[in-house]
Amino acid sequence: MFYVPKNAVYKTVSRRKFLELGGGGVASLGLGSLVVGLSTVISRRPVQAQSSLDAKWKQYEGSKLVFMSENTPPSFAIRDKIQEFYKLTGIEIEIITDGLPSVQQKVGIDLQSGNADFPISYVQDKPIGSPFADFYADLTSLIGDETLPQDPEGYGDGVWFENFLDACGRFYDRDRLIALPYDAAVACTFFRQDIYEQNTKDFEAEYGYRMEFNENSTWKNVYDFAEFLKRKRDAGADVPYGYAQHQGSFAWTTQLDVQRMFFAHGRWLDWEIDDKLGSKSPPPSNWGDEQSVFLMQKFKEQADVCHPDNLANGTLELNTVYQSGNIAMQVQYHEFAASIEDEKTSKAAGGRTAYAPCPKGEASWILNGGPAVNGTNCGVGGIGINGNASEDVQRAAYLFCVYATSGAIQFDVLTGLGGTPTRKSVMDMPGVADARKRPSSMPNALTFDAVYDIGIKDPNFVLGPKVPEANEYHTIMAAETQRCLSEEISAEEACNNIKSQIDNLH
Amino acid sequence: MASRELISYDKGVAVKVLKWASPIFLTFYLVWSLLPLFIMLVASLKDLLDAFSVPKPGDWAGVTIFFDFSPTLTHYVALFTENGFGTYLFNSLVASIGSAVIAVTFGSMCAYSLSRSEFRGKKDLLFWIISTRMAPIVAVIVPLYAIFRSVDLVGTLPGLILAFTTFNLPFAIWMLKGFFDGVPYAIEEAAQVDGQNRFQAFVTILPLVAPGIGAFVILCILFAWNDFLFATIIGSGGAKTLPAATKELVQPQNIDWGKIMAAGIVTTAPMIPLGLLVRRYLVAGLTMGAVKE
Amino acid sequence: MTTRASSEGHPALSDQDWGFATVDQKPEIYNPQPSRMFYVYLAMPAVLLLAAITIYPFLWLIYMSFHKVGFGNASDVFVGVKNFARLFNDSKYLQGWGLLLKYSAICLSIQVVAGVSLAVILNNSRHEKILVTLFLMPMMVSPVVAGLLFYYLYNGTFGWYHWIFQSLGILDETSILGSADTALYGIILVDVWQWTPLITLITLAGLKRVPQDQLEANMVDGAGSISNFFHVSLPNIYPFLLIAVLLRFMDNFRFIDAILALTGGGPGNATRLLPVYLFDVSFKFFKLGRGGAIALTLLIVTIILGMILVKVLEDPARKKALSGDTDG
Repeated sequence: MFYVPKNAVYKTVSRRKFLELGGGGVASLGLGSLVVGLSTVISRRPVQAQSSLDAKWKQYEGSKLVFMSENTPPSFAIRDKIQEFYKLTGIEIEIITDGLPSVQQKVGIDLQSGNADFPISYVQDKPIGSPFADFYADLTSLIGDETLPQDPEGYGDGVWFENFLDACGRFYDRDRLIALPYDAAVACTFFRQDIYEQNTKDFEAEYGYRMEFNENSTWKNVYDFAEFLKRKRDAGADVPYGYAQHQGSFAWTTQLDVQRMFFAHGRWLDWEIDDKLGSKSPPPSNWGDEQSVFLMQKFKEQADVCHPDNLANGTLELNTVYQSGNIAMQVQYHEFAASIEDEKTSKAAGGRTAYAPCPKGEASWILNGGPAVNGTNCGVGGIGINGNASEDVQRAAYLFCVYATSGAIQFDVLTGLGGTPTRKSVMDMPGVADARKRPSSMPNALTFDAVYDIGIKDPNFVLGPKVPEANEYHTIMAAETQRCLSEEISAEEACNNIKSQIDNLH
Repeated sequence: MASRELISYDKGVAVKVLKWASPIFLTFYLVWSLLPLFIMLVASLKDLLDAFSVPKPGDWAGVTIFFDFSPTLTHYVALFTENGFGTYLFNSLVASIGSAVIAVTFGSMCAYSLSRSEFRGKKDLLFWIISTRMAPIVAVIVPLYAIFRSVDLVGTLPGLILAFTTFNLPFAIWMLKGFFDGVPYAIEEAAQVDGQNRFQAFVTILPLVAPGIGAFVILCILFAWNDFLFATIIGSGGAKTLPAATKELVQPQNIDWGKIMAAGIVTTAPMIPLGLLVRRYLVAGLTMGAVKE
Repeated sequence: MTTRASSEGHPALSDQDWGFATVDQKPEIYNPQPSRMFYVYLAMPAVLLLAAITIYPFLWLIYMSFHKVGFGNASDVFVGVKNFARLFNDSKYLQGWGLLLKYSAICLSIQVVAGVSLAVILNNSRHEKILVTLFLMPMMVSPVVAGLLFYYLYNGTFGWYHWIFQSLGILDETSILGSADTALYGIILVDVWQWTPLITLITLAGLKRVPQDQLEANMVDGAGSISNFFHVSLPNIYPFLLIAVLLRFMDNFRFIDAILALTGGGPGNATRLLPVYLFDVSFKFFKLGRGGAIALTLLIVTIILGMILVKVLEDPARKKALSGDTDG
């Protein structure tokens, strides 16, 4: 806590004294360190626009910053790069990782109470970005600052994959940018090619079409496959279940699971708001309309032919079920491909699994007249800077943002731990194009066709709903959907309950 | 043991049934009680694939695959080399021992004072002390966080020690007051007659209550060690403890069960002998002194 | 342990050091006047520390519960009793109480029946000591570790408990946490596993104090040991059980670690006990005003329960039973 950097001017004074001496005196010297907030130390050496790149990187040499992140592989990957970052900038980064709920709590308290204990934090789009967007620093001015080193590719929408910058960086205001995309979890379909091939004959005899899955396959097909396999299984055949939903305890992924299917049918949205920017004061929601009730019924019917442990399968548990060969298909986030292709733990490895975009809407299920799309959603994690932090802390933090979201780092993470790039340039780096085909040295790349070429593009991609009370909305929706699936309430009641509760939120 | 002899006089049918059923119930309970811990231990020694294999439902003979594995310590090694459990172990030790020592030191002073003095509102004061221990943590943790934050104690070991003290101190006061109540005042009186001052007299009786004090230090350690909510909200960051670190191993993309089971063992193992060591005081400690053994 | 001290007719420290809970004997020479300040100084550090960490949060809680708490630059808005009024229209709040009561009732019934049976059996067992030692172990496990452990055991794909349930035909492929009908029992089992031994220990302590003469008197009347249990032992251990039940009930308000690790409140709202809901409102939704109102109601009930507990402790008849006097 009372960290004193090596080149600090006031090495021996107590922290209190140090604070009393204040920023003013120290800053006027142009060189010095200041403890600001918990564990954060700033030490600055002024630079000009004409200064060398190295000087720009090193202008905060001797500083120390805290990065609050979720306990996901990219965070662990960046931990391995901390030494390299230190060599480049002389800034020490302390990474604190925690589960998403804890990160939410701590970052939330920190941001809202006007502190800057965590100058840098992981901005998981809806759970953290939606409620706290206003408290993050606007990066646009830092991006244009010539006294800071900048990524040669820049930060325009075009250098990231479609929609990613919007997903985690823009909330409620097009002119503010609160985070740069760091990693992405995009939904796509994982299915057992081998099992489909074995069963396609029987299936075709009954349903009149082949048991195949591609970008034109619909939610109706998913139901048919699941119903067929379940019937066969119930009759004693040694086949897995056909499908399983994400209805476990984590509310957000439950909401995303419902949203994918709803959006696929006529691009149905919870609220009539700008999906990319969201709204702080959404109008009454669309829940309870004819389309939502109909789809909720379909969702329930689908659950009935799913793997029976549907309500215990959170995203991760679901993946385990798929790995263990108990289901033939899952709609899963593409970062899980690496675990599926791991021969040691997965029965679905070794070419048994094929990847496709999320299922498409079924034309006959669309009641609102919209198009049928491959409804796809995501969790894009950005890196953002605490808006309560002083200008110097923000600038030092920005150095880390630039470094951590650079293409080179993303490439390293992809090849090392199996990351999920956000910059397009990574696709052109050595070996990535080849890895999209089997045998692949970067298994996540096997999903790239489905995810980056189709899923994340409009009109398939749904970003929101970005509303300040996103977390309560997720919880309400998850709870009511689960109640409907456990036959506690009807589909119509579920939709009406959701409506009455979320219309009260804002 | 009066009742044991009594039961043997009985020849009724019900008693026979009970005699026959008792060992079965006892065996069942023993298995029920220890099986989870046993599975945790074994799973911590299995590699991931072995830990994930169960027989087909109903295949009772297949149970043998539970034992079909080659033990490995990799999870334990990984915890300490990759996940920094050495630090968390250290934090757990410092925070729980620190808070126990503080709670019992201040607690015994306060308890002694409450035991020996009489004043109006004493009952209310005692009730207030004990109610602070009973308050739901979730209810008070937001304001507590703010207080700790304003004095820069969040994420630090001193902060965590203080946080644990919030529940250990009222516990220690309440328990030790009962203890001091049992020490005759005559002993201090005699000491004072011998020319000692009040404080010296207080110190004189400390050896008499030493076993109790020792036991409550250990119970305080146990409560603090096992705490989760304070540890995650006040402590995590710079002062992450074992339970908080164990929960954190549950990651959105990966639950490394081998490591979690190993972490569970690391967290639990030191507490079992400690608990047994103060076995005699355990019931009293867990019932706020209402029941003694 | 039973025959400790008291049977040796040696009432000194070894037995008297257990005179808990209330002052039941005054120092014979009692003269507070000269050294009053001494006591105040001695008590001061602890009382001040406690005051600092309890009174302020409590006042703040009250303040929050009457405000819409603003963050950052937004200031707090006084909303009167709106936060409280809203609770009564909040189905999850009311359901939270219901679930808390249901959960506690089932947990405690199982624990009392199993715990008392176990104690009676153990009391008649030659292996009491070693068995009690073994039974104690679950109580030493950190609740969050217990939660994670059972999460593993319950897993529908690789959990051994799930396999056992399935093999016994209790469950089909749906795991215990995977259905709104059974999830509550899933979390109850964890509590039962951890805390039944406490009831056993308490009952054992009580059984040791059942007056010999009462048992004998009952036997003379021709009653068997079963009658003995219901007519003599049970009334004697009743005060012990009452305290245990109250304390466990209050702990259910306090500890949600295992539930957070197991279900987080789902599926649906099936395991969203009031403290879990409070956790959601305060920490996930950051509705500190509404959270404050929920917390305050929870706190008030805790305090009332605490008062009942202290009443029970101080009731003279019970106190006698509890303090182990066997002269009656």
